[in-house]
Parts: sequence; structure tokens; C-alpha cells
Amino acid sequence: MVTELNETTFDQFVESNGIAIIDCWAPWCGPCRRMGPIIEEVAQDLAGKAGVAKLNTDENQGIAARFQINAIPTLLIFKDKVLVDELVGLRPKESIIEFVNGL
Amino acid sequence: MEADVLIIGCGPAGLQAAIHSSRKKAKTVLVGKPNNSSAHGTDIENYFGVVDDGDTLISEGLGQAKSFGTEFLEQNVISAGKDGDVFVFGTDDGTQIRSKAVVIATGISRKKLNVPGEKELLGKGVSYCAVCDCNFYKGRRVVIVGNESEAAVSAKLMTSYASETSWVAWDLTANEAVVSRALDAGVRLYNSKPKSIDGSGKVESLTLNDGTVISVDGVFIELGAKSAADIAMDLDLMPELDDTIKVDQECRTEVPGVFACGDITGKPWQVAKAVGQGCVAGLNAADYAKGDKK
Repeated sequence: MVTELNETTFDQFVESNGIAIIDCWAPWCGPCRRMGPIIEEVAQDLAGKAGVAKLNTDENQGIAARFQINAIPTLLIFKDKVLVDELVGLRPKESIIEFVNGL
Repeated sequence: MEADVLIIGCGPAGLQAAIHSSRKKAKTVLVGKPNNSSAHGTDIENYFGVVDDGDTLISEGLGQAKSFGTEFLEQNVISAGKDGDVFVFGTDDGTQIRSKAVVIATGISRKKLNVPGEKELLGKGVSYCAVCDCNFYKGRRVVIVGNESEAAVSAKLMTSYASETSWVAWDLTANEAVVSRALDAGVRLYNSKPKSIDGSGKVESLTLNDGTVISVDGVFIELGAKSAADIAMDLDLMPELDDTIKVDQECRTEVPGVFACGDITGKPWQVAKAVGQGCVAGLNAADYAKGDKK
């Protein structure tokens, strides 16, 4: 089960994972709902290598504004607490894992 | 309006499904626009026994379907859902259709605008989903790009969020009532094709072929009708990552009563495959609706 973050737990999650992948989503967003099971699989495949979590942008608009998120789904990818990239749009599991393995 | 079988899409797959469904005496309603079919404007050379243009093929097929009792609505589906075991659809002229079975034969959506800046500014102001991303544009300026009712619906939606909502349509085919609702809500309409999306690191403007430059923070590309992927999700059916819909040999999807055929089920994108699957989907949807097969 992928952790669901909020404004309070977001920073702590980023700081406690060498690589953190955060799936920014909203319930009414069709592509986000399709991304859900993919993120679950990414979390399983990258267990021990990266922390994977979800963030509801509707309930946590401060974080969305902080990272200037304009489209969902967006994956925020952090390495050593630094935002290294934002992957926008629905994408297959393999491309996410390949990206993370290249960090 | 009540139907046994609703078929969405009137290309070769949807028409063949309509022919077989209505020949089985199922009350069949067909919704779609022939000019949206990928067969529109093409020459057919590799379909068994037929050498003709795609438009003639569709026109003849539509006549056949009607002759067997299919009711044809030249509209787009703009909403989909379920009410218990019944499927409920809305079209852009406000018609509501309740059906026992549905055949998705929309073809593959082609959503890209293919202008400079579109790919580079994705997620930095370029979006393909107004419903998903409207919340990020509160008090900001946006433009919707698209000719059909889906674009008009998105434009009206954005007026509830954006400070200014523009809409660019160069070959407007949206339903008049839907267009009126968008314009009444304050949408400003431009009639020229987009040339480029411009900005440094984020969207700053949209340039049109007639030279107009619209200063905006967001460009929402809403081409074509409501996509099959969106319709599928509204029916609790998860599409594949490439937006195709998985079916078995009976053209059944994972959701009972929902069938799919043609390009939307994947390659090969050929008329022969489309009509073959259309036949199977139409027969099985009619049986399902009449309770002969689950």
C-alpha cells in the first residue's frame, strides 16, 4: 500500500527517503486513477531503493502551489531531498523505474 | 430515450455492430459523426470485394443499419455512467439515452495538436484534461483549443475557475446549444487555427494562424469528442495505457454489458478487422440486452 501524504507529512517523507517518488493526483482525474495501480507496482518493485507515496493535490493545494504543479498526474522525483525532475502525464511502470535507476 | 443496445461511433466497426444488433431485433441506437471516422476521406483498397472510398462505405453502411431499424443520432456522447444495471449516456444536444448494453466503437482518439511548444510546455501550462487540471488555474487566464462539444463543455467549466477563458475553434462542429452555454458564461471565441504555444519555461501565449496572440497561463487541448478512455472509465472499465480497450474473442470487456470493437481494441487498424469485430460485438450486445447471454 502506497503512503498517502499531506501538508504535514510531505517534507518528512522526502527527508527520510534517499529517493522519493510522489504521485500527485486527484480523485476526479481519469489519468490519475489509471496511474494508481502503476504506482502501487512501482512501489513494490523499488522497495528498499525508493520511497513511493501519493499526494492529493485538491486537499493539499499548498504543496501543489509550492512545486508549481499545473497538470496531474505529476510524479515529483526527489534525490537527497532535492527535486530532480517532474514527470507529467500517464506513463508505464517501466519508464518510471528506468528513470529512477538512472539517478 | 430507451435502448437495448447503444453503439458509440459510426465508423465501420460501429456500423457493422448496428447492422447485426438491429437485425437481431434489439432496439439499437447509434451515436456518432461519420466525419470523425478514420475511414472518412480515405480510399479503401484492401477490404475483401470492395474498392471504394471510405465515405461511400460509411454512407452505404449507415443506410443498411437504418433499414434494419437502427436509430441514428448524429451527435457526440459527452457524459456516461451507470444507474444500477442500466447504462446512461448524454449527448451534446441534451438527449439522454438509457441502454441495457453498450458497444464502444469510437476508434482511437487523436488528441495532439502538433504545434511548436506543445510538447515542451506539457505540465508547464499545456494540459489535455480540463476536468483534471482546472483547479490549478483559479484566477488565471486560459484558452481551450478544439472544435467539438467537448471543447465547449471544457470552456464553460473553466469559467468557474479562470479569470479569463478564451476558446479557439477553426472548424466549429460543436452543438449550438453547448456553444451558447459557453459563450453566455463569458467565454471569448476565436476562429483561427493555433500556430504555436509560446513561453519561456511556462506558457505565456498562444499564437494563431491569423496572427492573433492570446496571452494566457494555460492552454487546454480538447480535440475531438469525449475519448473512449474517458467513456470507459465512467463505466468502471480501466483502459490500457495506450488508451485501447481490452476485449475477449466475444468482444466483451471486463464490465458485463460493455462491448468494444474496431480500432479501439488495438491494431491492426483495418476495416476488415473492424467489421469482423463489429459483427461479433453487435450480435453479443443484442443477446446480452435480451437476456440470451451473459
